[in-house]
Amino acid sequence: MDSSKLKSIDKLINDKKLDQAQMELSKLGPEFLKNTQYLYLRSKIFYINKLYYLALDTLLIALEFGENEKIYILISKIYKILGNFELSKKVANPELRINAITALKNELTGISQKGYEI
Amino acid sequence: MIKLFWNTQNQKKSITENEQIKSKEELDFKWGIYHQKNSDKWIYEILKKIKYNIINDEKNLEKDDTLIIVDSSPERKNELYNKLKLICSKLILIHLGDEASSHDLSSIYSKFSYVLRTFCSSKYFNSNNVKCIPIGYKSGIINKNKKNRKYKWAFTGTPHKSSRHDLLFQLSNIKPFFCHKTERFNTKIISTEEMSEVLSSTEFLPCPNGFYHPETYRLYEALQCGSIPIVEDSYKYYDRLFPNNPFIKIGKWADAKPIINSWENDQIIKKQEECNNWWNNYKIDLQDLLKNKVI
Repeated sequence: MDSSKLKSIDKLINDKKLDQAQMELSKLGPEFLKNTQYLYLRSKIFYINKLYYLALDTLLIALEFGENEKIYILISKIYKILGNFELSKKVANPELRINAITALKNELTGISQKGYEI
Repeated sequence: MIKLFWNTQNQKKSITENEQIKSKEELDFKWGIYHQKNSDKWIYEILKKIKYNIINDEKNLEKDDTLIIVDSSPERKNELYNKLKLICSKLILIHLGDEASSHDLSSIYSKFSYVLRTFCSSKYFNSNNVKCIPIGYKSGIINKNKKNRKYKWAFTGTPHKSSRHDLLFQLSNIKPFFCHKTERFNTKIISTEEMSEVLSSTEFLPCPNGFYHPETYRLYEALQCGSIPIVEDSYKYYDRLFPNNPFIKIGKWADAKPIINSWENDQIIKKQEECNNWWNNYKIDLQDLLKNKVI
C-alpha cells in the first residue's frame, strides 16, 4: 500500500483542494477500505463539508482497524460542534475514551465491520 | 391491453453449492417479498390513473400488450426481460429497492421504454428515460386525522449510526414524544396500525438518513399522516429530488430543537398544510406522468 498517495491527498485537503482530494481518494482501490489513514482523510473532507454524521461514522469505522490520536481528536471536536459536550470531553480524555467509544459503538448497530444483515 | 406484473417475489434460484451465490439469492428473495408486502399500496396509488389488468405470470401476456413490471434485483433477470421485449409493444419497469446502487443497470434499463426507480443517485437526476420516484409509505399507513397531536416528535427504528444517536440525544428533553427503538432492521417493529396512530398524533417527524441512502419510508409516512418532516440536508439530496419541497432541512439535529420546541401552533398548522398540499400535488403530478408514459 502506497502511503505517499495518502500524504499527497492530505496535502490537497490542507490546501483546500477538496474536489481534487475527493477524486484522488476515489481512485484508490478496495485495499484502502480498512486503512485508518484513508478513512481519516475521508472523514476530514466530510467534516470540512459539515457532513458531521458521515464524518463520525467514518471515524468510528476507522477505529475498528487501528487507533490514532488524531481520530479521537476529530471525534471529540465534532461532538463539541454537535453540542454533546460530555461525550466530547470523554473522547478527548485518553483515560476515558475507550469506554466512551465502546459504549457508543454498542448503541450504534451499523458501525461494527463484522457485518450488518437484514 | 395494459397489464401489470408484480415480479419482486420471483427471484432466480441457481442449483449451486456456492454459499456466496446462495446467500445473495436468499437475500434477493427476502427483499422481493419485503417490497411486495410493504410497497404494493404505494405503487397502486401512483398507478391510479391507469386502467390495467394484473397478471401473475408472463404466460398471461399477449402480443403487443403494454406491460408494467414491478421488480427488484433486475440485474439478474436479463433473460426474462429479453423474452418480454419480444412479446410486448411497450415495457415499463418500476424498480424497487437497490438502496446501495450497487450495479450498473444501464444495459438492463435500456430494454425498457421507461424506468421508474426508487433511491435516486446522481446519474439519474437528469435522465430522460429513468425517473426517480419516492420509496413511498409502507402499505397500511393511513392518516387517522387526529384533531390534537399529542406528541411533539417521534422516532421509530434502529439507531444504527451517529445521526440517529445524536437525534435521540438532542431531542429527548423535548416532551411529550414517542420513541420505539429497535435493535435490527425490520425486527420487533410496531404495526402499521400503531405507526399510523403515532404519526397522526405527532407534530414533527425527524427523518434521519437510511443505512446506505438518505431516503427512508419515514418521510413519506410523515407526509401521509400530516406530520411535518425534518430531514437531513446531506448533499442537498431532497432539493435535487424534489425542487421546491417544503420539508424542514437541518445539518445537525441540534438545529431542529428550537423548531420543535418553540414553533407556535399557527406556524405548525401552516407548515402542515404546506406539506400536505405539496405531497398531494406531487402524487397527482406523478400519476399524470405515469399515465402519459404508459398510454
